[in-house]
Amino acid sequence: MKTTRSTAPAPTAQDEYTVDVFTVVNGAPVQWRVDTRTTLLEALRDSSGLTGTKRGCDQGACGACTVHVDGARVVSCLMLAAQVDGRQVTTVEGLIDEEGRLHPLQEAFVRHDAFQCGFCTPGQLMSAVCLLREGRAGSDAEIREYMSGNLCRCGAYDNIVAAVREAAGGGA
Amino acid sequence: MTATKPDLGTWVGKGIDRVDGPHKVTGTAPYASDVTLPGMVHAVVVTSTVGAGTITKIDTSALLTLPGVRAVFTHENFPRLNPSPDVLFGEAPTAPLQDGRITFHGQEVALVVADTSQEATEAARLIEITYAAEAPLLDPAAGQPEPLPLSPDTSRGDTEAGWAAADVRIGATYRTPENTNNPLGLMGCVAAWDGDHLEIHDTTQGTIALRKTLAAMFGVPESGVRVRVPYLGGGFGAGLNQWPYKLLAAGAARELGRPVKLMLTRPQMFRLVGHRPDTEQQVRLGATRDGTLTMIEHRATVLSSIDFLAVGLITSGTGHLYACPNVATVERTVRLNRRYPTSMRAPGEAEGNWAIETAMDELAYELGMDPLELRLRNLATDLDPASGKPWSSNGVIECCRVGAELFGWSRRDPRPSSMREGDLLLGWGMAAAGFFAYLPMSQARVTVYADGTAAVRSAATDIGTGTYTVITQLAADLLGLHPQQVDCRLGDSDMPASAQSGGSGLASSLSNAVIDAVSHLQGELLTLAGADSPLHGLGPDDVVCRDGALCRRDDPSVRVPIADLLAGQGLVEMSGDGRLRPPDAAAAGMVHAGAYGARFVEVAIDPMIGRLRVRRVVSVTDGGRILNRKLARSQILGATVGGIGQALFEDTLTDPGTGRVANGTFGDYLVAVSADVPDVEVVFVGEPDRYTPSGTKGIGEIGLVGVAAAIGNAVHHATGRRMRDLPITVDQLMM
Ligand code: FES
Ligand code: FES
Repeated sequence: MKTTRSTAPAPTAQDEYTVDVFTVVNGAPVQWRVDTRTTLLEALRDSSGLTGTKRGCDQGACGACTVHVDGARVVSCLMLAAQVDGRQVTTVEGLIDEEGRLHPLQEAFVRHDAFQCGFCTPGQLMSAVCLLREGRAGSDAEIREYMSGNLCRCGAYDNIVAAVREAAGGGA
Repeated sequence: MTATKPDLGTWVGKGIDRVDGPHKVTGTAPYASDVTLPGMVHAVVVTSTVGAGTITKIDTSALLTLPGVRAVFTHENFPRLNPSPDVLFGEAPTAPLQDGRITFHGQEVALVVADTSQEATEAARLIEITYAAEAPLLDPAAGQPEPLPLSPDTSRGDTEAGWAAADVRIGATYRTPENTNNPLGLMGCVAAWDGDHLEIHDTTQGTIALRKTLAAMFGVPESGVRVRVPYLGGGFGAGLNQWPYKLLAAGAARELGRPVKLMLTRPQMFRLVGHRPDTEQQVRLGATRDGTLTMIEHRATVLSSIDFLAVGLITSGTGHLYACPNVATVERTVRLNRRYPTSMRAPGEAEGNWAIETAMDELAYELGMDPLELRLRNLATDLDPASGKPWSSNGVIECCRVGAELFGWSRRDPRPSSMREGDLLLGWGMAAAGFFAYLPMSQARVTVYADGTAAVRSAATDIGTGTYTVITQLAADLLGLHPQQVDCRLGDSDMPASAQSGGSGLASSLSNAVIDAVSHLQGELLTLAGADSPLHGLGPDDVVCRDGALCRRDDPSVRVPIADLLAGQGLVEMSGDGRLRPPDAAAAGMVHAGAYGARFVEVAIDPMIGRLRVRRVVSVTDGGRILNRKLARSQILGATVGGIGQALFEDTLTDPGTGRVANGTFGDYLVAVSADVPDVEVVFVGEPDRYTPSGTKGIGEIGLVGVAAAIGNAVHHATGRRMRDLPITVDQLMM
């Protein structure tokens, strides 16, 4: 994972339980004054109102909260908000382009019905975007292996694999 | 029912994309956990650390001095609630915090409310509770068996005579463990009062049952309670009941005069919102040499909690699948100091089918007969063997034949361990499946507007099954519109009442309500047509809506624009209300059939390390009329994943000393992940069902039924070892 820090100042402790965090979320600078115990997941959802990122376990075991930090996928429930100070965060809300068009993976997910309740979907998408970037979509087996950190209790796995395969250029 | 058969076929059946898809892939679909209201505070549930006994002391004074903490509710200060009303799927398990009694480990004992969830969580950790603990009753053998109201004993013929007449007999005991529904969305709610009005954003599968419960227990008018669930992160049964957390949030919100948000944690999801309870089942089968069944006996014991009974239904399908003259089913439950049971995807059938379809495979081997052949010889497709009346439809034989063909079953060498690939043992197994028919009441309203668009409204929920989409398609066909001209809104108890999504009953129930609503809408529109109208004097079923006009059914060129009909009376919209009108079964002369299926599975087992992979699944389903091929396939795919989980992984463990859940996290409770699942071949067969105008059957659950037994039977074929206890784990497979 890339850990290069920007020139932003270190998080400033206000009092025992409060910290100021300067970060960039989906390309826009953001400042959070949060409880030191606040996770990245909570800051995104509660402080920035970016509720697309979901909480399925809060224990790093389901992948629903997957976001990108400096381009790498992380489970945001296991990272403190203070840890992203000076770093770049991308959430599902950041996948659409400036004109509001869906990312090709989002389109592929819809076309292949790669979700049912939709609760795991933001996390699946964020993992899949990284997986493509990492060049891990070489075969169905590889996609399945590298998507297995994202639980889908509705069981949409076959369709998720089909969507990722298509987005990777392997066709439907 | 409506006299005329609806014209379906332009949009119904087509595999259009999910209409709510764009919301779901952009993260903009609002789930209860996403709701924030002004002045909202956060509640965290504190749970018991003993499995039975009473609370003797809760000291909350120190907590109230912690930053942000606003209140701590215990049985000493939580409002007294009225008794729970009887709603579908049972009453609320127990009203929370009414006394200090503990009936299971992990039960709700206090509620901490603070300005932030961090503050509430921290305070909840520091609470000090003293218990007079008792030894929890955890051994089923020490409990008192009692009957289950929904699963009465059944008997036909004479099973002992059938046993005596049999040439070949088998009898064995089968077990299924506790499984936890674990929808990915954590359950919870945001509750807000305005005087006697309550609005709650929740994760229930049934908005109306929750409305009724809240109104009755808080003593407020049902008309003032609004339950909103536009989206929920799955349910699989966990959202069917009126769980205590909802009452806790509503009670706290009323006391504090502020909106309260309460989200359960994943470990709490293992304790507070139900599970598929453990079963132990005894099956005896007898058959003549040619494979004709002479008797079936199915006995099941299912575990319950002290105050809340399991649904059961373990044995209720047994007498209907096979044409056997002598059948007896007996089902009992035992109340233990265990957490609340509930329905989990394919309740009862998932467990009962495991026993019966494994036993059928055992019988086939005793007979030296092909397991598929044994099914085909005995499956009852024309008449329901219990009543002797014809089924409204039954495609189970077709499921078996089509599945066998696609799978290549005829190439199977029946001898165990006979099929290999390198060092791997291959096993081919199959199972037949049925799921009961269930048709609860639903209502819907269909509205047309002067601009030619239309809306459907109902309090039903879409838990991921695709209700929004299939109802949009159905309404598009009924109104002669494009789906983009139809707006379907659900998940709000202020809309026409609907059944819960559960029991595989909603699609049929709601689609027939929509058909009825359109018929009424046409009747209303006709009243607007004056004496000079070409439609004057026609009845509601003599006309259809097409492209924004009301037309003669037999000559659509005779048409009046709906906009003109409305404008003539100064109207801007017109609605028709409809409801399910179930046929009188006796008058209809048929038995309402559920969905059927057949599952064919290939497993590969590495005997050195006991590793099992499911390599191939062919899943064939008779689901009646399919409303959307793409989404229907997804239902079967998802249920297959659930079935693989049931077969190989899912096992909620209870510590035998304390009654505590021993593996209540996603790290410890295993579910199937992408790498565990092969490409599943999904096929639908059968005809539109004759029982209702929509011709639909429920398909949310049937896909799970039979998967575990087909896997277990495949394991036997691969290894010669008979699997009777789920889940099938490595230690059972090491050679
Ligand atoms: S919520 Fe973060 S991994 Fe489950
Ligand atoms: S779509 Fe429901 S958990 Fe994946």
